Amino acid sequence: MSNANLGVDPHLLASRRSPGFLSRYRREASVATAYGLLLLVLWCVGLRGGPTRAPSFFRSQFADTWISVAPLLVAAVGTTLVIVARQIDISIGSQFSVCGYVAALLAARGVPLPAVACAAIAVGGAMGSLNGVLVAAMGLPSIVVTLATMVILRGVLLWMTQGAAVGLPSTFQWFGQSQFTGECLILSIALLIFVIFAWAARWLAAGRAVYAVGSDEEAARLTGIRSPRVVFFVFLLTGMLAGLAALLNAARFAIVYPNDGYGLELKVIAAVVVGGAAISGGRGTLMGTLIGVALLATIGPALNFLDAKPQWEKAIQGAIILAAVASDGLYRRRR
Amino acid sequence: MSTLPPMPPAEARKPFLRWTGPLDLRPPPPQQVILLAVLAIELLVFSIIGTNFLTWHNAFDVLRVSVELGLLALALTPVIVTGGIDLSVGSLLGLTAVLFGKMWRDAGLPIWVAAGAAVAIGAMAGSLNGLLITRLRIPALIVTLGSFSLFRGLAEGITGGVDNITNFPRSFVALGQGAQVAVFVIAGLGFWLLLHRTTVGRALSAIGYSAEGARYAGIPVERRITLTYVLAGACAAIAAMVYVAHVGQAKADAGSGYELDAIAAVVLGGTSIFGGRGSIGGTLLGLFAIAILKNGLQLSDKPTESAAVLTGVLLLVAIGLDRKPFGRASSRSSAAAVAGDGSGLEELNMRNSQLAVLSIVILAAAFIVTGGNFLLVQSMQHELTGARTPSATSRQATGDPAPPPGTAVKPITIAVMPKSKGNAYFIACKSGAEEAARERGIKMIWDGPTDPDPARQNEIIETWLTRGVDVIAVAVENRGAISSVLRKAREKGIKVVTWDSDAEPDARDFFVNQATPQGIGDTLMDTAGQLMGGKGQFAIITASLTAANMNEWQKYIELRRSSNYPDIQMVALRPCDDLQPKAFDEAKTLLNSKPDLKLIMAICSPAVPGAAEAVKQSGRRDVKVIGLGLPNDNKPYVHAGITDAVILWKTKDLGYLTVLAAADLANGTLKSGAKTIDAGRLGKIAIKESDIVLGKPFVFTKDNIDQFDF
Repeated sequence: MSNANLGVDPHLLASRRSPGFLSRYRREASVATAYGLLLLVLWCVGLRGGPTRAPSFFRSQFADTWISVAPLLVAAVGTTLVIVARQIDISIGSQFSVCGYVAALLAARGVPLPAVACAAIAVGGAMGSLNGVLVAAMGLPSIVVTLATMVILRGVLLWMTQGAAVGLPSTFQWFGQSQFTGECLILSIALLIFVIFAWAARWLAAGRAVYAVGSDEEAARLTGIRSPRVVFFVFLLTGMLAGLAALLNAARFAIVYPNDGYGLELKVIAAVVVGGAAISGGRGTLMGTLIGVALLATIGPALNFLDAKPQWEKAIQGAIILAAVASDGLYRRRR
Repeated sequence: MSTLPPMPPAEARKPFLRWTGPLDLRPPPPQQVILLAVLAIELLVFSIIGTNFLTWHNAFDVLRVSVELGLLALALTPVIVTGGIDLSVGSLLGLTAVLFGKMWRDAGLPIWVAAGAAVAIGAMAGSLNGLLITRLRIPALIVTLGSFSLFRGLAEGITGGVDNITNFPRSFVALGQGAQVAVFVIAGLGFWLLLHRTTVGRALSAIGYSAEGARYAGIPVERRITLTYVLAGACAAIAAMVYVAHVGQAKADAGSGYELDAIAAVVLGGTSIFGGRGSIGGTLLGLFAIAILKNGLQLSDKPTESAAVLTGVLLLVAIGLDRKPFGRASSRSSAAAVAGDGSGLEELNMRNSQLAVLSIVILAAAFIVTGGNFLLVQSMQHELTGARTPSATSRQATGDPAPPPGTAVKPITIAVMPKSKGNAYFIACKSGAEEAARERGIKMIWDGPTDPDPARQNEIIETWLTRGVDVIAVAVENRGAISSVLRKAREKGIKVVTWDSDAEPDARDFFVNQATPQGIGDTLMDTAGQLMGGKGQFAIITASLTAANMNEWQKYIELRRSSNYPDIQMVALRPCDDLQPKAFDEAKTLLNSKPDLKLIMAICSPAVPGAAEAVKQSGRRDVKVIGLGLPNDNKPYVHAGITDAVILWKTKDLGYLTVLAAADLANGTLKSGAKTIDAGRLGKIAIKESDIVLGKPFVFTKDNIDQFDF
């Protein structure tokens, strides 16, 4: 089975040139450039001398941003797979909230940490497989299914909790380790997940099957790939990753609110899309997602360091998303 | 989307609009039959369990409050029929509302000119979406995801989030008090004609089936697609005008979250999300199925969240009964194109196995939900009984209390509304309110919007008027917006109490005043000033830049600072969206970027533990944290010496006092002009004019925080 070309922009195949590294990873490169430029600006601001001690972005904020972005990255890995398989999951924020709350409830009742972790991931998996069954076995459009499950999960959670927060036992924070170890643990778990999935998506038959289903389901079927099964497992994995992300998030705090995942779905989808994954399926890399997540997560702190008005932050973020996708569109038109 | 061949020139000569046939005598598609059945069931069930559900008045109310959402849903139908989607309509509603208000108030344009200009701006914003989608070939989902942030961000940027434009002339406000139904009918008729009776409408569904095929058939695909987005933009602007007239204010957060509700209505109405199939009639059915569900559940005293859950289930069931299995669905585009518009008949052929899977899934979901519910209820009861021990009540935690001997047979019904339900602050109020309801033996309905939303508050009160209650007690989100409906309640002989924040004085009988915005601002700033020793820098973390009450507090904080603490500077104001993780990130960034920061003031409840955690993790023990929040959420940080003071009134007492006052008002013991009120366990409480004053905000510190459990 020759799947080497899947995951590459179809128009690159149509033009007879063999795609070079830079044009194959065009979007990744341009987003990485944008991220680099942003860091450069911040570095220059840090150099600015003067009477007030200008704080250095890199000395402190850089590491903090990466730690706080770890849960988002884990959730984005799942969403990338979903989008590559030409589906979408907008229930991920609600799943995140439910998993985090369940984990907190269990931890608060003294359930040992490994069991809490398993439970959070299992609950995520259950919700993901519900989406998976509805989309893959029933053939329902994923945007509608996950819209419905998003509303249902959020409603149920609010109905039951009425918004009350759950306090976590002190042994839960940082998985019972010191703060530094805990931070390293969270970041390395997230990066490990990222590396495993990036490798699997590129080199495992299962990973290529996701791209195949996303590019052309009929062709995938003819090559012997059972598309419904692939789609089901993608949703299952996304749910489990949402559970893990919620766990990594909860481990940073002493208290969990049921609205912690509110709006997460749009943040994650924006990061994945900025990172170059095509919503029409079959195209996108996890590397791109990593850079997309990093870029979007740095904009907020950057504006803070540059003393920009917070009122404009949302507008700037929207403009960046539009600019990233428009540049891609312009490039495609020129060819 | 692959590249399409150039458009044949012959098309240019075809007429733009043409009547495409007389009446449609085919049976309606199956999803609409299902929806009609659902509507019938809803009507039947709610006429039995709801109060005053089947009345003309209520029917008109349902119609009236669905107009804004309905306009968006109508505009989204052609967009989705072409296979596109528009997530930006809710944000565009906010942007055009704000621009309209600005043009009228600041630029001094006559109001109807400003409204026209706003609609034009809406159309332009829609054409921006359309151009990006058609010219640059970017998927609609991504473009509108970007403009979703962009439009909302522009609205916030232009107004600074704070600016709230009110006092629109009476002639304009009338548009929101019934006249909007006419607008809606006209828009519905227009879209129906466009989609079902013109060549343009046929072209739109052809594009939805197969854009390439449509191109070969001589349809100007790009122009038609752009048209749908322009119409969606214009319609969002019209919805904005109706919203502004209805609520009486133009603010940057208008219409947040409406896009998903509108999409749900369209999809529920049988419009295929892949494009090609859809109808205006179906959209209207979907819209009313949701609206009646909401209204009926409320008239049956069910909480608002149940409507959201049931809407989601309804959506799943409706599309579940209307789909083919996965393998065959893949060749959808070609098969659907062959089957054409009337492909309805074969789609009801649902295999038993599918039905079995659907039932299993629903059962499994129900099981998960009940399982989770059981766990939660257990833990909550555990917490509640823990909290109850001092008062040692043996009464039931929920349910209607048995009226104590001596009271009337029909219990007094008091409807109490918080600003939003999912907020820990109001939960603490609720426990006090329940206590008072038990003491007085009255029936209490506790309901409100799930997110702070003035339009939704009005809607719920209207439903209470229909249902019939004795007293309404409201924590007012926006005084201008709510006062007219409260006056209407008083005309009907319903007593009105406001609590937490006030409406116009002539719109209510009493106001239970826990602490004025000035009191809160002063207490916060004084505590900060003391802790900082009268000089240095501090930063504020707020919920959102558009939250009215927080903007009010900030105003008084700033006034107090400039008059009493000239050596203290406020160096940053950051929003946290009411989310603890975001508050944490913002606080961390503040600590890193402002090395001279001495204090963080968090003025929404999840932000206080979030900021304290950030200070704890960064090890900056020189930075102090104070904030407005619940004692329980902050105990660990207060004991660890990170959070120095948490400021709040005794929330439980606020709910308690509100319901007591409402009960006394209903049974006639409390009359206007009274000087004191006998407030049960709180003793005698003074009344100033018509304000029942609970007292100053309370400062929780290390020494006293353990005495409180809420």
